[in-house]
Amino acid sequence: MSWGKCLATAAMVLMLVGVSLCAENVRKDLHFKVGKHPTISINNPYGPVVVRAGAPHEVVVSAILHSDKVELDQSKSHNRVDVVSHLLPGSNSSNGVVEYEISVPPDANLTLRSENGRVHAEKLRGDVTVAGNEGAIEVIDCAGGHVHVRTLNGTVNLSNVHGDIEVMSVGGDVLMNGVTGDTVAVNSNSGKIEYEGDFSGEGEYAFTSHTGNIEAVAPAYASIEVLARSTNGLVQSDFSLDPKHAPFLVRGANSLSGTIGKAASSVKLFSFSGKIRLRKRQN
Amino acid sequence: MNCLQFENALSDYLEGDATSEQRAHLNSCSACSGLLADLSLISSQASSLRAMDEPSVRIWNSLEAQLRREGLIREPSRPSHPGFFNRWRTAWLVPVAAALLIAAGVKLYQPAKVGDNQPVAKQRVPASPAAPVVSAEDKDVMNTVASRPPAQVAAYRNDLAQANSFIHDAQEAVKNDPNDIYSQQMLMNAYEQKQMVYRLAVDQNNEDEQ
Amino acid sequence: MTDAKRPQRNKLSEQEAIERAKQGDAGAFEFLYDLHKRRVYSLCLRMTGNTAAAEDLTQEAFLQLFRKIGTFRGESAFSTWLHRMAVNVVLMQLRKKNLPLVPIDETTEGEEEGTVRKELGAADSRLAGSIDRLHLQRAVDELPPGYRTIFVLHDVEGYEHNEIAAMIGCSIGNSKSQLHKARIKLRDLLRVNRAEKLAKRS
Repeated sequence: MSWGKCLATAAMVLMLVGVSLCAENVRKDLHFKVGKHPTISINNPYGPVVVRAGAPHEVVVSAILHSDKVELDQSKSHNRVDVVSHLLPGSNSSNGVVEYEISVPPDANLTLRSENGRVHAEKLRGDVTVAGNEGAIEVIDCAGGHVHVRTLNGTVNLSNVHGDIEVMSVGGDVLMNGVTGDTVAVNSNSGKIEYEGDFSGEGEYAFTSHTGNIEAVAPAYASIEVLARSTNGLVQSDFSLDPKHAPFLVRGANSLSGTIGKAASSVKLFSFSGKIRLRKRQN
Repeated sequence: MNCLQFENALSDYLEGDATSEQRAHLNSCSACSGLLADLSLISSQASSLRAMDEPSVRIWNSLEAQLRREGLIREPSRPSHPGFFNRWRTAWLVPVAAALLIAAGVKLYQPAKVGDNQPVAKQRVPASPAAPVVSAEDKDVMNTVASRPPAQVAAYRNDLAQANSFIHDAQEAVKNDPNDIYSQQMLMNAYEQKQMVYRLAVDQNNEDEQ
Repeated sequence: MTDAKRPQRNKLSEQEAIERAKQGDAGAFEFLYDLHKRRVYSLCLRMTGNTAAAEDLTQEAFLQLFRKIGTFRGESAFSTWLHRMAVNVVLMQLRKKNLPLVPIDETTEGEEEGTVRKELGAADSRLAGSIDRLHLQRAVDELPPGYRTIFVLHDVEGYEHNEIAAMIGCSIGNSKSQLHKARIKLRDLLRVNRAEKLAKRS
């Protein structure tokens, strides 16, 4: 019995309870057989989308539609599955809600699009691409692929994620815990950027913000070359950095540069007016 | 006259004060005439070294910035001065140009109407204090999302304002030091953010059209 | 050589550009910069031997020029004015760094023998009919700084000994003798390089 199927069953039970309370809700189940490295694309403007790794070669979709003002469009061709919540005339952000619980093969390449719904992707090995407006985005326990997240104002939470990672946000905070990769690039406007991890893997980490604060917490044994600059904000570090010639010197700006340990990874922290703090983990 | 004497007077010879003794020595001494020929050659070819080298574009960038700072350049500098982009040759800025072209492509999309019952309220977009004058592309985005719930429209307007503000600040930083590659990278990040706002607005629209 | 090719057209627009630059026109400044940048930069590069210094000095020279452009009345050629300013900027820099501008005339031991006598078979080691520009440039860059300054100012840039003496603050005689030594040294460098090349081929 696949883990995904167990989950779907559990979810179904919960949803049946839910369904009995809201007569308008309609439950739809979809099932697809796919090959290796399938491409799964879900587009759901309103409502949560939760995707977890399940059995290989199959995609199981459980959807709860909150009214008849929204319908599911699905298409499958070759190794690609598309599911779209199609909003009909008269729909809005509450009657247009669809709640998704999806299980996909671990090697699937996933594309998720939401407006204000929460998006959750877990335990995947393929590429994960998420775009959202206001909803929170969580990527948990994913490794091996390219993780690309775009949001306007949703909070982005990456936990235990490894790979090539790119996050872009305007107002949403970006919180990273145990995130490493060859490239980890975060670009935010007013959203704050927080990182807790060891910057390992000889990667290139670049966190840039306009006004959002940037805080990184690294262990004492971290091995990084740091370049931190905030044009108008404070830059602080718990670490004492071995000085290394900084390729720039800007009068009137605040900057720090140097190395910790063997400087295996490169960490660049840039902000226009946010505060930048590099803290040492206490344990 | 012997060779040593000839050579000691050689620089005068080359200046044009040749004595008959020097001329006589030359006729009979191949070593000295060889030396004379070589030195004349070097002297005459030297002017080919003028203006040989092309200076880096960095120099003009710094110079122009300084001229503006000192008020020697006295014209209003437009916020998104196209001249800047013509001058930069760094590879980074090619994707920015591409991003701007894609962003400009927003004009091709027509605003869709979701649901006949939705009131189509055209929002006028006020320029926020920190951001520069609203561009035509910004107006396009606001038109694109005009038929959405007011909270969403307000969110888009705010996001555009933030993106514009970032671009404005990054442009100022680059203007202050055109050779600072990190400011250039910040400017590119700022443009990418704005492009993201466009894309999200437009994608949303396209999805609704299906 | 771009400077030589378009003198007429540029003379007229240079006048215009100067007038517009006085009004603060950015395009006019850029035009003037483009017109003269290679000459100024090459001068700085030949005199200092390093690109970073040459870039700074080029910028400084144009900056000083543009600051004073309001006082330019057209009595002399603009390029002469600019060029003189560039030379002064470079010389001031060399002085600051205590680099020898011109070594004081001294007799070295080898001079007794004379250049010619040192060579054997001098006739067939004459330089070829023309010198490759790059070889010459490399040889100039290898000259000791004092020799290089005089050679660049006189033979490359065309200043007279009396002008050089005034700019550097040495005697005319000193200028002449240093120039001669610079040329001799260049000849040696060029012949060594050529001999090395021939040796490599065989």
